[in-house]
Amino acid sequence: MIRFDRRAGMKVTAAACLALALGGSASAQNVFRFGLAMPLTGSQALYGQDQVKAAEWAVAEINKAGGVNGKKLEMVVLDTQGDPQLGIQAVNRLVSVEKVPVFITAWSGVVKAVAPIANDNKVVELSVGANSPDIAKLGDYVYTTFPLADIDLTAVAKYAATTMGKKKAAIVYINNETGIVAADVYKRDFTAAGGQIVAIETYDQKATDFTGPLLKVRAANPDVIHLQGLVSDTPQVIAQMRQLGLNQPISSYSVAYNPKLIQQIGPAAEGVIATSLAPGVDDSEAVKAYVARWTKEVGREPNGLPYTQYLYDAPYLVAAVLKSLDDKKMPITGENFRKEMLAIRSFELPLTGKTTLGDDHTVVKPVYLMEVKGGKWTHKATVGK
Amino acid sequence: MQDTTIILQILWTSLATSTYYVLFAVAFALVLKVTRLFNFAQAGVMTIAFYTAFVVVQWLEWPAWAAFIVMMVVTLTASYALERIGFEALRRRGVSVMFVFVFTFMVSEFVAYVAMLIFGTWPQTIFPTIFWPVTLVGEIAVSGWDLPAMGATVAALAAFFAFMRFTRTGQFMIGVADNPGLAELYGIDKRQIFLVTMLIAGAFVGLGMFLYGTRAQVLPQTALSLMLFAVVATIIGGIGNVAGAAIAAVILGIVQNASILVIPSEWQGFLLYIFLFFAIVFFPNGLKLPRRRTRFGTATRNTPPAGDAPAETQA
Amino acid sequence: MEYLYGIIIIVGLYVILATSFNLIIGYGGLVSIAHPVFFALGAYTSAILSRDFGVPVLLAMLAGMLVALVASIALALPSLRVSGDYLMIASIGFQLGLLEVIKNFRFTGGPGGLTNIPPFLIRDFGRESYVLLVLAVMLGVIALVWWISRGDYGRAMSAMRDDELAFSSIGRDAMWMKIAIFALGSGIAGFAGALYAHYFRYIAPEQFEILQSAAILTMVVVGGMRTTWGPVVGALLLQALPQAITFLNLPPSVLGPIQGLLFTGLVLVFMFVRPQGLVPAKDIWRAVPRAKAEETR
Repeated sequence: MIRFDRRAGMKVTAAACLALALGGSASAQNVFRFGLAMPLTGSQALYGQDQVKAAEWAVAEINKAGGVNGKKLEMVVLDTQGDPQLGIQAVNRLVSVEKVPVFITAWSGVVKAVAPIANDNKVVELSVGANSPDIAKLGDYVYTTFPLADIDLTAVAKYAATTMGKKKAAIVYINNETGIVAADVYKRDFTAAGGQIVAIETYDQKATDFTGPLLKVRAANPDVIHLQGLVSDTPQVIAQMRQLGLNQPISSYSVAYNPKLIQQIGPAAEGVIATSLAPGVDDSEAVKAYVARWTKEVGREPNGLPYTQYLYDAPYLVAAVLKSLDDKKMPITGENFRKEMLAIRSFELPLTGKTTLGDDHTVVKPVYLMEVKGGKWTHKATVGK
Repeated sequence: MQDTTIILQILWTSLATSTYYVLFAVAFALVLKVTRLFNFAQAGVMTIAFYTAFVVVQWLEWPAWAAFIVMMVVTLTASYALERIGFEALRRRGVSVMFVFVFTFMVSEFVAYVAMLIFGTWPQTIFPTIFWPVTLVGEIAVSGWDLPAMGATVAALAAFFAFMRFTRTGQFMIGVADNPGLAELYGIDKRQIFLVTMLIAGAFVGLGMFLYGTRAQVLPQTALSLMLFAVVATIIGGIGNVAGAAIAAVILGIVQNASILVIPSEWQGFLLYIFLFFAIVFFPNGLKLPRRRTRFGTATRNTPPAGDAPAETQA
Repeated sequence: MEYLYGIIIIVGLYVILATSFNLIIGYGGLVSIAHPVFFALGAYTSAILSRDFGVPVLLAMLAGMLVALVASIALALPSLRVSGDYLMIASIGFQLGLLEVIKNFRFTGGPGGLTNIPPFLIRDFGRESYVLLVLAVMLGVIALVWWISRGDYGRAMSAMRDDELAFSSIGRDAMWMKIAIFALGSGIAGFAGALYAHYFRYIAPEQFEILQSAAILTMVVVGGMRTTWGPVVGALLLQALPQAITFLNLPPSVLGPIQGLLFTGLVLVFMFVRPQGLVPAKDIWRAVPRAKAEETR
């Protein structure tokens, strides 16, 4: 019989606390540090891990090129599992123990949950990848370098109404925050551009059969359908749409933009339009080299390619601000980081191009529309360049 | 678009997609009926079933029928292990219902983590494609997946009910379900019956996941969500009523989809719980609950072993 | 040391949850998994009242506790009229259903959750004061459970658990006692929810799912049901364990699954090796020795 007792439990906890305290106090001097809180485990890890890898590559490249004014750039990575509570613990650790002036995080729930910590402690929170419009209003110290939901949805809605000349649209969305917000934005912008929304239907997150909502959409006879789902249901929905005779063009967002979609639903994917918020391999040599490196070193393309591009660029942005602070001999605090970041405003980033931080704490970026033609993803248009 | 076409289409596709739900519900309900436990470890077995089929088809590149056989063998082995190593040990110690709940949950979580470790967290399907060709019957779209799925399910259910009705083991299972103590007195080997029950449930689970995985994507955590539906169907169908659970699963699927004609789609998911609420509140006496037992698996009530409470078990 | 404060508070809240759950399932002998939903009710009630209706935070917290208490009676009363076993089924439905309701309404923030919940105490007295508050409540709850179990009420609960028929035949009302225990335990959970909401200031439905039930239940079962210190030990250990595993410094891609494997594996092994829990319960009556129990089985 194992003799576990209360004391053993206490000892373990005490040891853990001690280790943390010791680890935190040993902060090196000639190193610039910042934090990264991402889902390394859990259901979102498939994206989170690739994004972390991209950021790690960037940090390595920066250090290879001499670091920040000769000093090493160090990134402290902690796991959030995409869960708000764990995100709070991770960011608390970054702020109180690791004492970073800035940290990068993603996933709307986490971004929102840790905002009070950033604001209270005057540490800059960079949201890179989450797209809930609420993020713009989370406080003085919360900024996003990734365009929020209204950017790409507005682009695709306007494009469908004006350039594609579609008069009637239907919206099919998953019943969670992403879906609900997206439906609102698309409806607003499609109608503003002169179109008419003939059907808005939603499906439950756990659903596997979408017949009901899709039949209602079919009955409304739209010219174009916008789908806002998650990576786990989008292929099924599109497949079922085609099976039920819905052959209109289907627009979706970046979650649909992955090569596996074509493999999974074959001919049903023809005519699917997805938005991408980052330049593709045909738009930029740097991106081409980046993807080639992924294929060579990891054996596949990254999950959520555009998001990884933003995560690759984020350390560059951080490094640029830190360099500027170091040049001006200003102390490296969160408050100064924020000041300097806003002073610089515009950054030329390797994989996503020019990024300008707006007064509303968001960024505006061009939207790349990709379409499946002849069984491959092709570049259809760029909106907002 | 006439309403009849819509209704018929909904009816057809709901019937087709209810196949796997029926199989999961029947497996869950059967185990509950005979062994009196809420087997949340079924999610773990479901995960094992799916990933075995996935490995055989996509990694070993064997044909589908071979994958099915291998999957069945592995699933039945897993069920066997679960029963003999897991549940039997728990029964012998006379643990409480809550203990069993935690145990089964942990088993499913454990299996999910193993799957995450080996297969990562990208959604997978058994075949590389999930697009099935469609034929139009009248104006109803019939997918190439529908008929084989329905056929297999009906065959499995028919075989099962025949087994329960006409074989001795089937009769023994009902006997044990009604009154294990009494059944033992009549010389029925409870252990064997429990094992057979778990194996049959395993077979249903295997078939169910094979159907599901050829139509939709699966993540390591998907099984637990699918279980929710099975649990709700079991409760609505009536505890102790396997046929009821099957029928409930079908009807729930159809009604959920058909409800779109009368209520806004946001409330579809919620409908399930409304039914559950009605079933619980308005038909409590209509549901047959197993008689109260002192402890999970035993029939005596007067001897609590040191350190454990005789909880009012029922499952 | 904000990091440590966050951890202490979360562990403290889990101890409160585990202890109150133990009151219901251990001492009360009831079978229910609906604890997180009362945690959620307390959190949401308090958050919405204080944020959207300007109710002072302390009052809002008490209101949260009250709502959880009333809701638990609404669940227990009809269920227990049927049988104790029925409560298990009803609690599953209640837990799942209420969460769906929360997800579907805009005023609860929907699936996106509630942000900008007003803080309590921190602005005026600093974070330490909140930590002290939570620890005080935690000790209070433990003391309460200890006192209940030791006194006459505890004896009555034991009697009810052991043989309900005999219990009612001597004139005691089992049903109302069960409802009282259930309400008390759930009310405490509701208060814990309010405490959570006003410190972390963001709540989302995903934090109160059935996985939480399993987590809290594991703490109680592994720690030792029907003991005062069992749930405390369980909560501490099951919070400390995952943290300790992160110190093994495994590469991120395997860290998560291995962490999960180690954790669930340990719990499973543990349940087999010591099913009575870390802290074994000592019943008021001496238990029949194991050998004799085996004979009569």
